[in-house]
Amino acid sequence: MSLETKRRLRHLRLACLAVPAILALLMLAGSASAQDPSPEPSLIPGPPAPSPIAHPPGGDVDQCFECHVSLDDKQQAISETWQESIHGAGGIGCADCHGGDPGSDQITVAMSEANGFIGIPSRQSTVDVCGSCHSDTERMRSYGLPTDQYDDYWTSVHGQRLLEANDTRVAICIDCHGSHAVKKASDPTADVYPLNVPAMCSRCHSDPTLMEPYGIPTDQYDTYAQSVHGEAMITNQDVRAPSCTSCHGSHSAKPPRSSEVVNVCGKCHTATEELYLESRHSELETAAPKCWTCHGTHDVQQPSEALFFHEEPPDYECTTCHQPPDMTLVLDVEQFDDEADRRCDTCHHPESLIYSQVEAISGALGGATGAQAQAQGKIDEAKSLGMIVHDAEVALTESKTGYIQGQAAVHTTKLTDVTVHTDEATAKAAEAEAMAQAKLDESLFRRTAMIIVIAVILINVVVLYVIMRRMSHPWEEEAEEPPTA
Amino acid sequence: MTTDNPPTSPGSVDDWFESRLHWRALMDALLHVRVPLEAKTFFFGGMTLFLFGVQVVTGTLLALYYKPTPEAAYDSVLFITSDVSFGWLIRSVHHWSANLMILFLVFHLLRVFFQAAYKYPRELTWVVGIGLLGLTMMFGFTGYLLPWDQRAYWATVVGTEIAGGIPFIGDALLVLLRGGADVTEATLSRFFGIHVLVLPLALGAVVAIHLVFVHQQGLANPTKPDPRPPAVPQGRTKPFFPHYILEEVIAWLFLLAMLVVLSSLFPAGLEEEANPLETPAHVKPEWYFLGVYELLKHIPWKVVGILTPMVFIVLLAVLPFIDRNPEVRPRKRPLAIALGILTIAVLIGLTIWGYYS
Repeated sequence: MSLETKRRLRHLRLACLAVPAILALLMLAGSASAQDPSPEPSLIPGPPAPSPIAHPPGGDVDQCFECHVSLDDKQQAISETWQESIHGAGGIGCADCHGGDPGSDQITVAMSEANGFIGIPSRQSTVDVCGSCHSDTERMRSYGLPTDQYDDYWTSVHGQRLLEANDTRVAICIDCHGSHAVKKASDPTADVYPLNVPAMCSRCHSDPTLMEPYGIPTDQYDTYAQSVHGEAMITNQDVRAPSCTSCHGSHSAKPPRSSEVVNVCGKCHTATEELYLESRHSELETAAPKCWTCHGTHDVQQPSEALFFHEEPPDYECTTCHQPPDMTLVLDVEQFDDEADRRCDTCHHPESLIYSQVEAISGALGGATGAQAQAQGKIDEAKSLGMIVHDAEVALTESKTGYIQGQAAVHTTKLTDVTVHTDEATAKAAEAEAMAQAKLDESLFRRTAMIIVIAVILINVVVLYVIMRRMSHPWEEEAEEPPTA
Repeated sequence: MTTDNPPTSPGSVDDWFESRLHWRALMDALLHVRVPLEAKTFFFGGMTLFLFGVQVVTGTLLALYYKPTPEAAYDSVLFITSDVSFGWLIRSVHHWSANLMILFLVFHLLRVFFQAAYKYPRELTWVVGIGLLGLTMMFGFTGYLLPWDQRAYWATVVGTEIAGGIPFIGDALLVLLRGGADVTEATLSRFFGIHVLVLPLALGAVVAIHLVFVHQQGLANPTKPDPRPPAVPQGRTKPFFPHYILEEVIAWLFLLAMLVVLSSLFPAGLEEEANPLETPAHVKPEWYFLGVYELLKHIPWKVVGILTPMVFIVLLAVLPFIDRNPEVRPRKRPLAIALGILTIAVLIGLTIWGYYS
């Protein structure tokens, strides 16, 4: 590194140290410099829910089905798919979506405009067709279904785009639920069943052709699939794991804004959210580091102590966290796209007080994991010798529980909150190690005692062998004659 | 009982007993028999008997601490293994002795088979011996459940289900074994009762019968068939006592050393406590049932899979009545020897397959 570079770096460090002080002054002065950078644009209101399609009542037999099921293969497949759907099972017939007279077997009557036949609804009107029934509280009451999907849809990025630009490429009801093959969300074969949701969303969102006009990346599914969430859902088939809709919403799908992220993650991580809200980070409000700053978005991984520091100190740039000209604190998601940048020392300089606090927190957790690794080593060794190490394993589990609590307490950014748990975890790990060591000592005793016992047995064998050899063996001199009785 | 001839030289223990019990006649009858010099028992039968004795002693000690209820069984075994002085040793010796007992019983059976010692006049001794094999297997099956850990519980679930697949009586047998539809407290208490009370008494009685038969017939000579009618052993013989007994005791001491080594280096373990709601990934029975377990997996018809080992045991029991060839030397009975080797190869093959599958 040249002298010039070193000089520039020193200046950068000084500038970085000066920025928090300036920021504090600005905050004290009531400045609103730490704000959500992009205010929410106002929503285009959605249309009111239309009335359900009116059509003449059908008889006992649905004539639409009777005709179409015996037409060509395509019509037969559509008819049978509908028959097996939740609509088919619930008596929601063809005319409820397509209009017409289901009671007539005459094509000119059944499919006449006079009888309200509308044919295949356009993509724009499909949302209305579905919404006409699904926003009708009277109709939905008996099924126990909510009626807010229609209104929710218009607030989504999909619905807004449809309203704003009449863009029919956006997702509408049938893209997720199917048209004739509508199934209950609780049906494991349904696309909208929780375990199938990521694959369903990726049908469009992993398609570069579809996403290119919107400038939306198409790697989310692959990234998610490798995340701790994706592994739980896709690999382990755990329905409790979050899918796309858990964070983005379903009918009201939209990426959560930076200011909403804590609430979104906090839906599941409730205890962690509470701890975060106690932190200095939380006090910075909208400009604060949020869940994604350290954990990422689609690529959330199992947290580890690696999240504290870079392996090599980074080259500090003030603009990493502060935007000129007024050096407002701004943390954009894009800045932390690279997992390697999600570290405390990305923002906190090694010469800052906070850095030493981070070092102390990292050391407390590291001390506990070190003690646990030692205990685990002894336990494994004792187990490999056939010793029962139940007590030591229980103590180690307690230590790990303490460690997890310590890990969670990191979200408070307060050293004492962390050490109260890590100290206990370290002590429990030491206890487990001592128990395992006692088992190792006992194993050694058993082996030593075994040698002594074997020696005693062998002495007995030798004595008996000598007695045996000294006894007379009259048969060896006997001739091959039968002995006398 | 009184005697007309009181001892002439009072003072020795022998005389003291003789004057009261006619001790010498009893001891002569029991001990002073002759063993053909050609008889090669390898002491397998005696070693099995010794191991049964070890089981009685260690089992009694374990019963002092063991509690046969689902709530307390696991903890009591953990207590025996971790806290009771030398409890680990007693339990480990019991565990290894059980395994070795089955192993040496099989060795004993094979020795008798290959030496044709099951033939005239020892047919009944063989049949009783097969009964002892069955009782010992039942010992293993009932004892396996008692630690009440995951392996014990699920091996019993699978084992009793196999019994439940027997045609006609299967359903009733399953309920009888389990004391209900599932493996529960009722199963544990009846397995405990059978293991510590019924089977020891039964095995003790059948062993006594086996030994009386052996005593009456003497040891077989593997080089020539027994004469008809039976006669005093021909050829060179040696005394059962003290010569043969001394060799047997030395064999027992080696066995004791083996038990000490196995128990010290590979003490009996304990898995997680039994959890009826969590089926482990790989449930396997003990090694002596692995062959049957593997057979069941590969025979598509469950009934055939279950009946095959039962038919095998029945055929084994009546072997002396099927094999009417009077010859005892292996080269004079090639079919029996070939079938025996094939059976052993199949059983070992299935067991190894079951172990690695």
